Amino acid sequence: MPALLDRVGRSETLSGWTLVSPAAVLIGIFGLLPVVMSLVLSFQHSDLLTPETPWVGLDNYRKLAEDPVFVEAIKHTIVYTALFVPGTILVGLFVASAMNRSVRFISVYRTTAYITMAVSTISQGIIFLWLTDRDYGLVNAALNSAGVQSQPFLASPTQALYVIVAMTIWGWTGFSVIVYLAALQGVPAELHEAAAIDGATAFTRFRTITVPLLGPANLFLVVWLTINALQLFDEVYATTRGGPLRATTVIVYYLWDRAFVQFDAGYAAAMAYALFVVILLITAVQFRIARKHAHIS
Amino acid sequence: MIGRRLGLALVAVLTFVLAACGGGGTSSSGPVEIAVWHGYQDTEGDVFKGLIDQYNKAHPDVKVTELYSSNDLVLQKVLTAVRGNSAPDVAYMFGSWSPNIAKIPQLVNMSDVVSAPDWKWDDFYPAERQAATVGDKIVGVPALVDNLAIVYNKKLFADAGVAPPSPTWTWDDFRAAAAKLTDPTKGQYGWLIPADGSEDTVWHYVPMLWEAGGDILSADNQHATFNSEAGVKALTTLQQMAVTDKSLYLDTTNENGPKLMNSGKVAMLVTGPWDLSSLSDIDYGVQVMPTFAGSAGAHQTISGPDNWVVFNNGDKKKQAALDFVKWLTAPEQVKAFSLGTGDLPTRISVGKDADLLAKMNEKLPGSATFVENLNNVKKVRPQVEQYPAISEALGQAIVSVMLGKDQPAAALNSAVQAADTALAGK
Repeated sequence: MPALLDRVGRSETLSGWTLVSPAAVLIGIFGLLPVVMSLVLSFQHSDLLTPETPWVGLDNYRKLAEDPVFVEAIKHTIVYTALFVPGTILVGLFVASAMNRSVRFISVYRTTAYITMAVSTISQGIIFLWLTDRDYGLVNAALNSAGVQSQPFLASPTQALYVIVAMTIWGWTGFSVIVYLAALQGVPAELHEAAAIDGATAFTRFRTITVPLLGPANLFLVVWLTINALQLFDEVYATTRGGPLRATTVIVYYLWDRAFVQFDAGYAAAMAYALFVVILLITAVQFRIARKHAHIS
Repeated sequence: MIGRRLGLALVAVLTFVLAACGGGGTSSSGPVEIAVWHGYQDTEGDVFKGLIDQYNKAHPDVKVTELYSSNDLVLQKVLTAVRGNSAPDVAYMFGSWSPNIAKIPQLVNMSDVVSAPDWKWDDFYPAERQAATVGDKIVGVPALVDNLAIVYNKKLFADAGVAPPSPTWTWDDFRAAAAKLTDPTKGQYGWLIPADGSEDTVWHYVPMLWEAGGDILSADNQHATFNSEAGVKALTTLQQMAVTDKSLYLDTTNENGPKLMNSGKVAMLVTGPWDLSSLSDIDYGVQVMPTFAGSAGAHQTISGPDNWVVFNNGDKKKQAALDFVKWLTAPEQVKAFSLGTGDLPTRISVGKDADLLAKMNEKLPGSATFVENLNNVKKVRPQVEQYPAISEALGQAIVSVMLGKDQPAAALNSAVQAADTALAGK
């Protein structure tokens, strides 16, 4: 037996595959298989209740194009992503730059910045609900004392989406701060010293040395945050439930609503696949642009 | 070295495979095991577990196991379990799902079962029986019953010099009182309504619609009719309070009701008995909902009864599950559960028990009014599988009017259109 194992074991490939197989099997069952099955589901009519799932071809996809709520959901998702991604990156970069120096208690500040990532989405939602409450919220109390009228915020169809943008930027800042801090510490101090001797101002040094060297971090954050923004769900579920008047109904929230409230799983699967294709395309474009402009090995 | 690594990997794989295969063993002897999924926690959970222990002790041939599962998510979990052939034997399910779960093949149709005289099916309130019935199927046995009534803060009424709600109140009286109880400088509102546009919003509007003499659908369930004169009248009342008087706090997040009530910021809620236990800081009263002056609809309210639903996992388990549900919903256990938890009794005979009502009222003032109010439940929401779509359209219409974005007639007309499309298609 040991001799046999020895002989088989000599094949590195085999032992490699054996080692990864538990993980591969799990990923296959819980990751890849559902992906394939939901593609099949998107061509069927399924209410999740009855075992019969008649094949309807492209019907679900055709229905998507004619669904005004879906179009609305796309608009909200785009507006959200367009504000959330740059917002989180700029705030994160600003905070990270401010922290990338030796000040006393810096680790306290760094922990504080990252701690928002440890707050569960539901708690975060409840905190913001009360902070921004029209009648009893702290934000309105502050506005009132500055002489500004109370705002409805999450209770207003015109403001709710922007409150969610602000809330999620707050929640994700810690993440981009950590990524940027790591990247900033990889910027060689000698470059800055040399440039300073040549008379470059702090701003010029930041623009011409730091920013280009942050390329990989930028790319990573843009891709990662975009994917997360397009899949926004928890924050909406925890605060506005897609309202008021569908003002915060984003694609994944609408998808969930169709599948699990309206029992139209086939249609929801088609929506998920439409979103998947969009994410794939956007990510590909982002990579292409980034390869041209950034130093990515 | 490589050989040893491979050996370890093989062991890991084998462990995984064996663990995955380990769950399938079934024994043919011993007690019949049935699994019950429920959403009871805290006091309710303790009382419920106590009942199960009692049953298990008295029935050594059956072993009932209970599993907590949040009520909101139980449908998704049950659907997954049904697909995986591991459905629970009994599950607590919201009544609003009935038309949809009636389509699950493994669901046990109880219509032949509960007709046996010892089930005393007619002893359940009519609204409960209707909510458990979908076409010719009975999808479950009533597990919980509730209804909506006015809960008001006695002190705020006294402070504002307003007479407390009476059974003869009309909606005009209600509106006038709410206006007097509203004080923007104190952040105080006369009334609060859940305004997220979900079914929670809708079921506050529906009893008003019924009281005004209208209905959600036509008698044959083919067309939506809530844009009737009665529907507009009911929604106009909400519009006047929300937009004109600004006496109605719109809880768009649907989280704040009991908290604001308990902190004295809201003078009235229209809510069910489940909120009473959160109102520990105020002295409250309970009164039936107002009527529309001159309407034949008179006093009504709405009930959202939930059910114990049985799934078929083979004859032996099915029978054991039916026996257990029968025991659990028998008058004796209904009484014990109401006494322990303060939940309204699901049976008429228990609801008439003056001694029980007195005890419930002592524990949680106002409970007795809610029990009596069960007699004002005259209609139930339509048992059609398109109801979620109808509810969504109606909910959006109600919210858009209350936010001042739309007029009642126009909003209801477009919601009726959406509802009719849902009813026609599928």
